[in-house]
Amino acid sequence: MLLPMLENPFQDPLRFERRTPECAIVIFGANGDLARRKLLPALYRLAYDRRLAAGFAVVGVSRTPLSDDQFRETMLKAVREFSENTKVDDEVWTAFAQGLYYVAGDIADADLYRRLGAKLAEVEQARHTGGNVLFYLSTQPSQYAPAALGIGAAGLQKGPGWRRLIVEKPFGHSLASARELSGRIHQVFDEPDVYRIDHYLGKETVQNILAFRFGNGIFEPLWNRRYVNHVQITGAESIGVEGRGAYYQEAGALDDMIQNHLLQVMATIAMEPTATFKAPSVRDERSKLLRSIRPMTPDELRRNAVPGQYGPARIGGLDAPGFRQEPGVDPQSQTNTYAAATFFVENWRWAGIPFYLRTGKRLPKRVTEIAIQFNPAPLAIFDSDGDGLSPNLLILRIQPEEGISVKFLSKRPGAGMHLRPVSMDFNYGSSFGERSPSAYETLLLDALVGDATLYTRQDMVEASWAVVEPIQNLWRETHFDFPNYPAGTWGPPAADEMLARRGHAWRTP
Amino acid sequence: MSQTIVSPETVLHELADLWVATGKDGPTDAGAGVLKACSMTLIAVAEESEDAAGLGETLAALMPEHPARTILVRLTGPGEPVLSERVYAQCWMPFGQRRQICCEHIEIAASDASLPDLRSLLPPLAAPDLPVILWCRSARLFDAPDVGGLAGIVRKVIVDSAIQPDARAALARLAAMAGGEALLADLSWTQLTRWREIQSRIFENREYLARLPEVDTVRVAFAGAQPPVHAWYMGAWSVDALATAGVHARLSLEPDAALTGRALRVELAGKDFRMELERQEDRLITRVGDSSQCVSLPRPTDYMLMREELGIVRHDPVYERTLASAAKLAVSSST
Repeated sequence: MLLPMLENPFQDPLRFERRTPECAIVIFGANGDLARRKLLPALYRLAYDRRLAAGFAVVGVSRTPLSDDQFRETMLKAVREFSENTKVDDEVWTAFAQGLYYVAGDIADADLYRRLGAKLAEVEQARHTGGNVLFYLSTQPSQYAPAALGIGAAGLQKGPGWRRLIVEKPFGHSLASARELSGRIHQVFDEPDVYRIDHYLGKETVQNILAFRFGNGIFEPLWNRRYVNHVQITGAESIGVEGRGAYYQEAGALDDMIQNHLLQVMATIAMEPTATFKAPSVRDERSKLLRSIRPMTPDELRRNAVPGQYGPARIGGLDAPGFRQEPGVDPQSQTNTYAAATFFVENWRWAGIPFYLRTGKRLPKRVTEIAIQFNPAPLAIFDSDGDGLSPNLLILRIQPEEGISVKFLSKRPGAGMHLRPVSMDFNYGSSFGERSPSAYETLLLDALVGDATLYTRQDMVEASWAVVEPIQNLWRETHFDFPNYPAGTWGPPAADEMLARRGHAWRTP
Repeated sequence: MSQTIVSPETVLHELADLWVATGKDGPTDAGAGVLKACSMTLIAVAEESEDAAGLGETLAALMPEHPARTILVRLTGPGEPVLSERVYAQCWMPFGQRRQICCEHIEIAASDASLPDLRSLLPPLAAPDLPVILWCRSARLFDAPDVGGLAGIVRKVIVDSAIQPDARAALARLAAMAGGEALLADLSWTQLTRWREIQSRIFENREYLARLPEVDTVRVAFAGAQPPVHAWYMGAWSVDALATAGVHARLSLEPDAALTGRALRVELAGKDFRMELERQEDRLITRVGDSSQCVSLPRPTDYMLMREELGIVRHDPVYERTLASAAKLAVSSST
């Protein structure tokens, strides 16, 4: 007898955790920082929460010669050190560790892929992974294409189950290099099987932006040029380059944060509602928004994009070095450790509304948030506490204290009609005491079940580069008088002037 | 305790005073203070003889995830009319933060003679615009859990059929209640979730899924002489699920002297295929063919069960279908 449908009839999606199929995850760069700090702890946590299928395996690939057991030992140390809010349970770890394997080799060496193929066959036999393989490129960006091509040359991109590829950012360092990387990856994997990871999109509160906008009826009518005055997106870090000076010198704040994270957040804030919450619809709308960002002429760019580099300062009784004093950094470096830009979206919803994006190292505090400033009431009929026509603000806080605040005016208690601004807070962590999954847990689960909603598609990458590249080019051609802001401040004065020209001011988070 | 006038106005006034006092008592530096959290009204009805401390701990544990205005109604039983109340705040300080989160807690003691008074007292105490959940823990109110005249405002009623002596009668009553306005949940069903999930996971394996058409019998073994409600649920759910895949299996519920308490053993069997799940202490043993696996499956506590149910304030089609089938099977087996 044949089953009328090959679906598991015992599913209960309302109560059961999302099911993940049996599979092997091959992590290239398994001994690297990302794998130890984020990937293995995330996978272990998924195992701890019983979210992984019984037939689950991890095959670590790296140059360091290690046996399977040595790899397990190394990963146990990493999980112990970097797992947040998760205890290492001996029984769970033992079961999880049985699925950890290791293959040593150089990504440029064709023999590595032959041995990897043999290991995958062994794992499939031992763990019943059904031939499903998720390749994860957690290596230096220069090794993305060689690894993908190596997989292809050994024929590992095809098999009895599905084969997918996760690529970490940066996706190229310019529009041309992004296209070139994509072209080489597409020689092996089709676009639907390529998952470009931007961990910002996996954060609960970034996902909550979609719930907030499209799950409620009261905000969307205000979400347009008629009511919104401008939008500020801030991604501030209080730390410096922390020993990554050499790497950071090549990237800079513009490439490291704005090109990917902040533009993706902006796309989520500004995109049109989707007809369904399916990956193609959500990604289409994000992509459409990014493509609607108005390209600027060099003259416009000079007025609308501000680079910065932090100089030395004394913070809290400690001397903080300037960027040029950081180890591995050129003392004459022209790298931007701060970037601010004004973007305009050319569509009926947003025409003329500035979107101010800023990011930087060594700012006063670590904070990521979106502030939507609404137009003030058209007439001030009340006496307010020096705040004039204090505008309403909607603040979506992404980190560290995830939540939403609304600022509005209220009557001050007592005689008379005096107004003052008050804030109404929704604290995500307090309202839902449940532990939020880390961005990597969310995104890994998504990739395992084939849900690409929160992953970046090639056209989105190209659209982002098309926005950022003209700024990048202009800044490369210009010699800046760096440093232009002391560590521990909110960036260079030119960034304030950029907003002041439109009668706006940066919000102090 | 004695009969006093307990009006909704009095209780609401006390709650307002409570917030003023809590705010004054708390730290005053910026970013500190007290945050009031409420996402629903949870009315728990329990006999006074129940372990008050245990129930209090369960309610407190639920608050961080499901902050609620909690109304605990303690039934003091027969005798003189007794109606009294007290209000207090249930607070906690999230790790690393300076602001306390607090929920409102109202405790009402009522004798049987005062139960009619609850009908005018409880509805105005529900937090406006938020769902009202009624958790009836009293066995004697199983047939009529709505002691507070909350029909029309209660979104979900949660009961536990395990405390009923007659499983067939309990299922018939639940099936009748399921047609009402409020959503219905039975903790006897909730306790099967992890178990059902493990059974389902077995058939995520395509090899085993392909063997499903071979199944012709679902056997559920239970402790005791008569099948308890959760045995009916497990059997009905398995048979229904198989039927949706076009596999028509016979259900057999059998007592097993080797089993104790609420333990079950479930078997899906056919000519050349056999899958078995059996609870042993805090573990669930799964056997498929020659291979077996043991997974940790601690017995669910009231907190775990309620945590799951409070997270589902919508229709639960799988439970609704299973309840209807289980009630039908139980009734037909008794005739």
